[in-house]
Amino acid sequence: MVGTFTNKLGTLADAFEMFYSDGKSLRVSFENDRLSEIRQGQSAGISIRAVKNGKIGFSYSSKPDETDAVAEAALRMAPYGKAYDYDFASGARSEHTRPFDPACGELNPDKLVAICNHVKDTIKAIDSDALVDCTIGGGIGKSRIVTSNEQDCEEVDSSFSFSVSLRLAEEGNFVQNYRFAMANEVIPEEEILTDAKEVAEEFQIARKSEPFKKGTYPVLFAPSAFGDILMPIGISVNGTTIEKKISRFVDAMGEQLFDERLTLVDDPFHEEGAGGGLYDGEGVPTQKRAIIEKGVVNGFQHTLSTAKRCGHEPTGNAQRSVSSLPNPGMHNLVMAHGEGDLDEMLKQAEGGLYVSQMLGTFTSNFLAGQVSGNISLGFLIRDGQRVGRVKNCAMNVNAFDLLKSNIIAISKKREWVGNRYLPWVLVDGVTISA
Amino acid sequence: MKEHLTELVKRAEADYCEIRVEDSTQTSIAYQGKDLDNVQESHMFGGNVRACVNGCWGFVTFNDVDKLEDRVQEAVRNARAAAAANAEKTVLAPVEPVEDVVKLDLQSDPRQVKLEDKIALFGAYNERMLGHDGVTSTNLRYFDKYTHLRFANSEGTWLDREAMDMGMGGGAVARNNGTTARGTASEGGRANFDAFRNLDDRFDKAAKTAIETAQAEVVEGGTYTVICDPHLAGVFVHEAFGHLSEGDNVAEDKRMQEVLKLGRRFGEDYLNIWDTGLDQGLRGYLPYDDEGVPTQKTWLIKEGELVGRLHSRETAGRMNEKPTGNARALDYRFPPIPRMRNTCIGNGPHGQFEDLIKDVKLGIYAIDAYGGQTNGELFTFTAGQAFMIRDGKIAERVRDVTLSGNVFDTLRNITGIASDYHVQDGAGGCGKGGQMPLPVSHGSPHIRIKDVVIGGR
Repeated sequence: MVGTFTNKLGTLADAFEMFYSDGKSLRVSFENDRLSEIRQGQSAGISIRAVKNGKIGFSYSSKPDETDAVAEAALRMAPYGKAYDYDFASGARSEHTRPFDPACGELNPDKLVAICNHVKDTIKAIDSDALVDCTIGGGIGKSRIVTSNEQDCEEVDSSFSFSVSLRLAEEGNFVQNYRFAMANEVIPEEEILTDAKEVAEEFQIARKSEPFKKGTYPVLFAPSAFGDILMPIGISVNGTTIEKKISRFVDAMGEQLFDERLTLVDDPFHEEGAGGGLYDGEGVPTQKRAIIEKGVVNGFQHTLSTAKRCGHEPTGNAQRSVSSLPNPGMHNLVMAHGEGDLDEMLKQAEGGLYVSQMLGTFTSNFLAGQVSGNISLGFLIRDGQRVGRVKNCAMNVNAFDLLKSNIIAISKKREWVGNRYLPWVLVDGVTISA
Repeated sequence: MKEHLTELVKRAEADYCEIRVEDSTQTSIAYQGKDLDNVQESHMFGGNVRACVNGCWGFVTFNDVDKLEDRVQEAVRNARAAAAANAEKTVLAPVEPVEDVVKLDLQSDPRQVKLEDKIALFGAYNERMLGHDGVTSTNLRYFDKYTHLRFANSEGTWLDREAMDMGMGGGAVARNNGTTARGTASEGGRANFDAFRNLDDRFDKAAKTAIETAQAEVVEGGTYTVICDPHLAGVFVHEAFGHLSEGDNVAEDKRMQEVLKLGRRFGEDYLNIWDTGLDQGLRGYLPYDDEGVPTQKTWLIKEGELVGRLHSRETAGRMNEKPTGNARALDYRFPPIPRMRNTCIGNGPHGQFEDLIKDVKLGIYAIDAYGGQTNGELFTFTAGQAFMIRDGKIAERVRDVTLSGNVFDTLRNITGIASDYHVQDGAGGCGKGGQMPLPVSHGSPHIRIKDVVIGGR
């Protein structure tokens, strides 16, 4: 198919790029303590960017056998498209390897059902009142990028994911807690059950409410909440905001903007990382790069287009689905650990908050550094322990300021939250509205 | 295709089986700053089979209809495997089978407008925003999507339905002393492309909002009386109460059923909330849901009391209530789940905006929304723009206004509802269950809420 396509487009377009993807998945879902669904997915598609007279046209179809129709549509769109002021990926090869687990494509639904049952039993043994939802699944995906600039790279990915959610609705008090994990290999059942146990234990503490007054407090962010605090940095190193000159980092390369203990690395090859790959969504070999190095702005993240327009080198950060154009994005965000011991950090945060989950922070003005939202799961710290949940309070911080001047400690221990590997971080001077 | 699909679902060895086949074409135009970033025409084709055995579902998606019989067998096999460990019975609320062909009924058809003309129209809006001194960048996105749906179930329902969906969202970005701020404009609907014309004023306002907001101070955090404009109030009712009303939150949760018992008082007598699929032309319009159930206007709160909720056939069946036509799927890749359509707060007895504001000594006037999130009990929204209210009058502009609160307390704290009901569609949608963005609408008059927590400096 690709041969026919390239022959045809090669004569009609000045330059082109074809993106093909195909995948299959299986997942088992428990809802409200019971098995509710087994889902099998098949997805495929092809998209083409075709250049004619210096402009790019784009089209896609969910039917890979419609290559000709997609090519024709892309060419038809070209006169209206963006200027082709860069080159599609060349034939550069990645020198790295990445784990692949074929077992993700051969999951046994009966086995997944059994694990879900064990998750439920583990949680019910700790808190029999909790209603349990649980989803476990995985799949195999294949993608291939062919360009007129002699790139032809194919990659096969394996993925596995697990999520568990507990909830309890009582008059005046809804308690929820959840955990999710993603990996590029099948996650062992023991690890899933350990997560389930931890989330149930935290849920138990959350069932007790503690009174809380507005004020300024030390806050210990769990990795699940600290990811929200890092969002303004993520958007500020994104090539799109750099190109549009709306990022605060536009002229800040090499500047010390943050605490020197803050190092953030984008690692597409991390063995445990669910994100990443050998090539990005345009067929450019990916790179492991620090975006913040000891508090200094060290790297932006680009597609071919944003790199060219900013006068920077491509970074291999294009991300896309078959139906979308490439945009810059993070592969796996890995934050350097500190030396903090979690028990000691809890003692240091005496009288303050342990924040596990935030709500609605995505609506914040990240470009201005703002991270604002309801604290959906936060705990009062007393005598070095989380003693109960605080509710009906909101946080509004400027992450740029907070990460420059307010960090007290960073933990040695880290945890994966999706494609982010983060420590616990203790900060002071956080204003909480209640 | 009708005979083939209806025959397959009838033969399926399951308590219930349905097939959905979807064929859609979409035109999209996107500007980023000065660039016409993307113009595309695309095609999506696919479908799914959903089978239910003993209350458990098997769900299979496909892009290829050649081996549909195999897909049906896979869905049934998955449902049976899930049901093997389940002693329950399938409980789907009964509905009359329906056969219908639904053709488009458009005021003006986007497919009849030349691509060049659409590019010129939206390009002019983009240029207009860029022409304002102080605007650093812009973005503007337009789409129209035509869908042809075929649906058959094992109870004899057959639907051959066309649908159109259109949306546009644009925004200006301004910077001042390192502060970046946005101003937005939007439009949407299902029936009238002409609604996207003559919107110059709206884009001028978006540019002005961005420029002025970048120069404004961050709001001082605290607890305020807030007046929400119809758009923000609509987002509030969608996020804070609509999701709570969805049947899958309640159907299998006995404790939640106690909390959300019909007849419970949620607000004052002047609080009325409904969800409807009947408003033709709005993005939330829906003649049938994705289980083939005719839609309706569903009252949720009448005169302050809870009177209904939003159901799929399964959640209605489990609660022995009537289905409401709220089972919706983003597209063929997802199963239908209870979702909203057009969710509204009705007009109240407190006059106009001026009547709501005149008694507010210190408060905030919050306009538009960048979206929001709820977990059932708590919510967070960020206003698109905001002003302080001082001594009953609109005062200085403030920025980064995030409203947080408790759903139950906040509904009780609505102290005024004006009579200027308005719906403004856009290009976004609801994101429940990862099915984003599902076209929905929301409407409201201005409302006044006391004791709202505002995160700020």
